[in-house]
Formats: sequence, structure tokens, C-alpha cells
Amino acid sequence: MSSAIERAKSGTGAVPRPLQVSPEARRRRLLNWLAVAILLFVMIPFFWMVQMSFRPNDDIFGYELLFSPTVEHYTALWHGNFPTSFLNSVLSSGISTILALIVGTPAAYSLARWEFRGKEQVGLWILATRMAPPIAFTIPFFLAYRYLGLSDTILGLVLIYLTFNLALVIWMMQTFFATVPKSLEEAAWIDGCSVWGAFLRITLPLTAPGLAATAVLCFIFSWNDFFYALILTRTNAQTAPVAIVNFIQYEGYEWGKIAAGGTLVMMPVVVFTMLVRTYLVRGLTAGGIKD
Amino acid sequence: MASAAITSWDRQRRRAFFWGLFPALAVLAVITVAPAVYLVVTSLTPLNLTNPVQTGLDFSDPLRNYREAIADYRFRNSVWVQVKLSLATVVAQVLIGLGLALLLNARSKLLEAIRTAFLIPMVLPPIVVALIWKIIYSPDVSPMHRLLEFVGFPVRSLITQADTALWAIAVADTWEWFPFTMLIILASLQMVPDEPLEAAKIDGATSYQSFWYVVLPYIQPAIIVAALFRLIDSVKAFPLIYVLTNGGPGQVTEVTNYFAFVQAFNFSYWGYASAIATMLVAGVFLLSWLLRRLDQAGQRDE
Repeated sequence: MSSAIERAKSGTGAVPRPLQVSPEARRRRLLNWLAVAILLFVMIPFFWMVQMSFRPNDDIFGYELLFSPTVEHYTALWHGNFPTSFLNSVLSSGISTILALIVGTPAAYSLARWEFRGKEQVGLWILATRMAPPIAFTIPFFLAYRYLGLSDTILGLVLIYLTFNLALVIWMMQTFFATVPKSLEEAAWIDGCSVWGAFLRITLPLTAPGLAATAVLCFIFSWNDFFYALILTRTNAQTAPVAIVNFIQYEGYEWGKIAAGGTLVMMPVVVFTMLVRTYLVRGLTAGGIKD
Repeated sequence: MASAAITSWDRQRRRAFFWGLFPALAVLAVITVAPAVYLVVTSLTPLNLTNPVQTGLDFSDPLRNYREAIADYRFRNSVWVQVKLSLATVVAQVLIGLGLALLLNARSKLLEAIRTAFLIPMVLPPIVVALIWKIIYSPDVSPMHRLLEFVGFPVRSLITQADTALWAIAVADTWEWFPFTMLIILASLQMVPDEPLEAAKIDGATSYQSFWYVVLPYIQPAIIVAALFRLIDSVKAFPLIYVLTNGGPGQVTEVTNYFAFVQAFNFSYWGYASAIATMLVAGVFLLSWLLRRLDQAGQRDE
């Protein structure tokens, strides 16, 4: 009894728990601990890389969990070419995302509102670009870029990222626009708004959260790209993921730098994902499932 | 009067929609249809580095690349490797995803936080996943090898041995993508209605029985969709293979996608690589068509 009063005092729950824990609740608690244990086990490889990035070089092969952390690998990256690659990643992903939104949002709106023959085919086409293996795009783009002078340029990366970003924007935004009632636009039109005026003033602001989520997903998918950047860039436009792999291939195994580079590249993605996690499935399955 | 105004509104909207849609479709055509056509055309030529101009326009024997591919031991091997890798990873991901989804399918703050944390492997840049597993599979820095040594069971690096390399990659790939199947199955588990479950309980069904006869039929479409998505995307596996094994040792981890990459960008046999890529695209589209058919069938049932 006294323990119940203590619990009530410390404010652990508004509803006091029954004194006798039911077998059901005990089972649930056991399962919760099991889930925590599995999570920790699954995350070991991930944490191991992060801790390696802070381990001093003379102790890089050590495994004591207590060590004096250092940022020497991060400063080494800062003084090398890594900041340039990081900037290239930011630029190519950012510009591609913005372009995809500018071109794709009006298209998504039109598709959501306009019933026309061939609508189904447009949907299929967008699905196809999502499903096609990157190698199929890479060979033609690689050959064309050699003639167009777009190899190893940010613009070249921006264009090839549009192949998936544009499809993603059209698909995602279409579902958001479909939730805005048409009558709002009708009212705006009667008040003298043009079609696109009503779109900009009424519909787009109402779908702002969806727009933000779509932008974040575009950015993440471009940021995560390795294959296109590996083939279409060499030095000038090299992105961060390609730069890290070069630490393995050309500079011998510098584990500290590899781990630090990996940690830096994944940071923005992990933070952003937590922001858009509710939309993640929709983005990953774009075109395949109607929701 | 009002209806006339609405008609003009409709007409104006239709014109506006055309101009809203047109630029996007034009850009998509240039960056997707044109390359696709170019890929198929190139696959009919012997285009390679020796004489790009002449070999790129030589259509004298259009199906040669396809004939060569079918006769090429390395190509057939790559298809077999792909089948093994895809089946192993899809089955593992569905089973692990299902198990975790069942474990995490309850309302609580703790479980919600765990669900979110489980997403991490899936959203990490694929190249970072590859680096993480490169560390795990490198004996001198790996905690796994350290532990095995400690318990008196030292092993050599799994990715440098022919009989374990592919399974080592399958483990890494499963780690990366089980959150995807878990998420989709969880979403469908949360839509399972309570009434039939309660009815089953009243009728004295064990929890195993109510899972098998009540829950599973409900979530079966979601499981199939998740599996097909993973199957389609497993064809694109690249960073893991590139960083961990480079297709080796020998060709035991060389999947078709990787084989096409090597033919195109190491050997510059662009015609040949295009033919292989075209076949890959055809295979992937077939699977996508299946996915869409299943999804539409599922919607009709609802």
C-alpha cells in the first residue's frame, strides 16, 4: 500500500496501477524488454562505426569501451578535400530538390484535379521511373554527358537526380492535393482568383506540411546516391559518399577517417528522417501502392 | 448564368492544367524516355571504346549482344547469384520484419520510440551501411571477430571466402532493409479490426490460432507487397557489393547489375552492357506489373 502512495506522490502516472500485476501486463513488460534488447543488438554495428570515429589513431584497433575520445579524424577530414565533396553533395541534392519541386508541383496538382484520357498511363510511367534499375539510366547518361560536357559537373548530377526526384514529387504531392476540397478553389475563382492564383494562395499553403516532407525525402534520396555520383563524377563534382570510398581504395585503410566520414555523411539524413518518418513509407513505395 | 460561369471555369482550369502538366512531362520525357530508347538502340550495336563512332552505328547483327549474353557463362552465373541473393534477403527480411512488427504492435511511448530507432538502418546512406559492414567484416577492427576469438572460435574474414561471401552480403542487406518490411507490416497490423480477434478469443482460440487464422489473412496482402518491393529493389544492390567484395572472390558475389556495371565502366563494352541492362529493366518491369496487379486486386477486395 505504501508503495502505491509513493508512486502516486512521485507522479509516475495519473491512474494508479493495480497492486497485483496481471500476467498479461507482466508478459507485455517482458516483451518490451525483449524489444529493447533486440534494438540494442541490431544497432551494435552502427554504434561501432560512430565510436571508431572518435578513437585515437594509436588505439584504433582497441576495443575497450572506455577511451579518451578525440576529434583528430574530423579535423583531418576538415583539412583535406572532404569539405568540397560535402558541399558538392549539398549543392547537387539541394538544387535537384528545388527544381523537382518547381516543375513537379504544378504537374502533381494538374494530375490530381484533371480527369483525362491517358492519366493511367502517366501514372504507370512515373512508376516505371521509380522501379527501373539505375544502371539503365547510367549508361545513356554517361555516354551523352561525354558529348555534352556534363561529366563531372554539379549540373550533370542535378539532372540525373531529377529522374527519381521528379517522379517522387509528382506522386507524393498528388496524394496531398487530392485531400484539399475543390470547392475552396471554386470560391477563390468566384472572388476573382485565376486558376494558378487559387493554387498558390489556397491549395499550396494547405499542403505545406506535405510539401516540406516531399522536399526532405527528395533531398535524402539524392544525398544517399552513390551509384550515379561514382560513375558521373571524378574530381570536381565528387560527392561525399564517393569521397569516403576513396579513403578505402586510394589511401589505404584509414579506419578513423572512414568512420568519421561515414558519421558526417549520415548525420543530416538521420536528423531529417526523424522529421518526416510518418511519410517515409509513402516516399519509399511511391508509385507502387495507392494510399 | 451560374452554370455558364462554372463551364468557363472548367475550361480555364483545363487549359491551366495542361500547362501545369506539360513542362514536367517534357522534362521526364527528355531524362527518362530518351535514355531508355538510347539504351535499347545501343543494345543492338557492338558499341565499345575501340571505335565509338563506327561501332555505335553498326546494326548489321542487332541481336548479337543478347545471343552472346545467353551464351556467356559469367552472365548466367550473375543471374544465379542474383536469384540466390534476392531470395535469401527477401525471405529473411519478411520473417524478421513480421516478427518485429508483431512484437512492436502495441500502443506505448516506449514502443513508439523503439519503432523509430529501428528505422535507422534503412535511412542511412547505403554507402555508410556498406562501410559499417566493411568494419564488421574486417578482422582487425571488427567487434564480431574480436568476440569470436575471445570465445575460442576465430574465423577468417567472411567476405574473402568463396563459400561465405554471398551470405555475408545477404546479412548486411537484411540488416539494411528489414525496417522496410517491418514498417509496412506494422501499418497493416494496426488496421486489423478488433472484433474478429475478440470473437476468436471468446471461442477459445490460442494466440497462435488467432494469429494464423485471423491476423495473417488480414496482413497477407501487405506482406506480399513488401516482399515484391524488396524483390524489385534487390536487383539494384550495388554499394554493398562494390565496397565489401567487388563481385569476388572470383565471381561468387557478382550479381547481374554489378556484371553490367563492370562490362560498361571497366571494359567499356557499352553495347553489351546495354543489352544486359535492357534485360534487367524488362525483368523489373515484369515484377512491377505484378505488384500493381496485386495492389489493384487488393483494392477491389476492400
